[in-house]
Amino acid sequence: MAGRVITVTSGKGGVGKTTFSANVSAALATLDQKTIAVDTDVGLRNLDIVMGLENRIVFDLVDVIEGRCRLQKAFIRDRRLDTLHLLPAAQTRDKSAVSPDIMKKICDELRSLFDFVIIDSPAGIEHGFQNAVVGADEAVIITTPHVSSIRDADRVIGLLEAADKRHIRLVINRIQTELVRRGDMLDIPDILDILSIDLLGVIPEDAYIVIAGNRGELAAVHATSQAGQAYKNIARRLLGEEVPLMSIGQAKGFFKRLTRMITNA
Amino acid sequence: MKFLSTLFEYNPRHSTAQPSSKAVAKERLKLALTYDRGGLAHGTIEQLREEIIELIAKHLAIHEEDIVIDFDRTIDHDKMIASVPLQVTTRPRAEAANAEADKNTRRRRRRGRRAAN
Repeated sequence: MAGRVITVTSGKGGVGKTTFSANVSAALATLDQKTIAVDTDVGLRNLDIVMGLENRIVFDLVDVIEGRCRLQKAFIRDRRLDTLHLLPAAQTRDKSAVSPDIMKKICDELRSLFDFVIIDSPAGIEHGFQNAVVGADEAVIITTPHVSSIRDADRVIGLLEAADKRHIRLVINRIQTELVRRGDMLDIPDILDILSIDLLGVIPEDAYIVIAGNRGELAAVHATSQAGQAYKNIARRLLGEEVPLMSIGQAKGFFKRLTRMITNA
Repeated sequence: MKFLSTLFEYNPRHSTAQPSSKAVAKERLKLALTYDRGGLAHGTIEQLREEIIELIAKHLAIHEEDIVIDFDRTIDHDKMIASVPLQVTTRPRAEAANAEADKNTRRRRRRGRRAAN
């Protein structure tokens, strides 16, 4: 059975694409899905360091494209979780090797080898973004509750819709419940109202993300992190399970209504 | 109206009804996205507002300062909504005199019917 290729993109930089890609890949891997996370941010690679695999890179995406190695040679298998793999980006400044046609071929090949291919897109809407999106069946848009990232998310959604990408879903990252309660942060219904797309999940601001990043560990495999739990829930939703939104400090009825807004795979 | 009420979220910190910062953010975003999505030239919506005011004011007495142009966009629909408060009109004296005359006519007719029965 063919795997699913999902691009994680946002428009705005720094909203959590790489952290999301790493954590949801790990969460899927713990659910026995053979998963590979692909870093397409050539020149500014980060997926490797977020996953704690930066010391294990031998070959990268550009080596594969330029024929210095076979595709499989560039895979890094996580020793802590053997269903989890990484295809790292190159750290060279020359991105011209990567083109949409080549990326499409690579995605097709990855689709035949894995259950899930999670593509970490670079920020922006230029070539890097186009390369990351071309081979994907589905897209996940990461936004935070800030005017700048929401505006950029809207633009990206428009571009994806124009490219006939059908399965586009939103993840709202870094929600701060106290600010939401005070009326100082846009909440989930506000953001859905503005962007008008289906919701995949919501991830709370969590100090553990900083700690995990420092250690090269992932919140999704940690027992007590709230953000980690949110990533796990998202992985389960990707697998078709109905998982209610985590109650992060708001009234239960409110969350029941929101949960109905979530659509599953 | 729903969109007006979103501007005034109950906020215990403020004694006066001041829009919450997130309500301001939401309105700004809706406007920005209307421009971004529509590829509108800068100032189009302000110009639209002026033209709407001018047009309606030709036909109706309105409160120009209180006109609200809002964008209601959801998964199901995409609407521009204009809320135009009208000035309260009172009946002019001539009409009032006629209304009084009509009332007297009706009284006479009723008396006439009773007398006939």
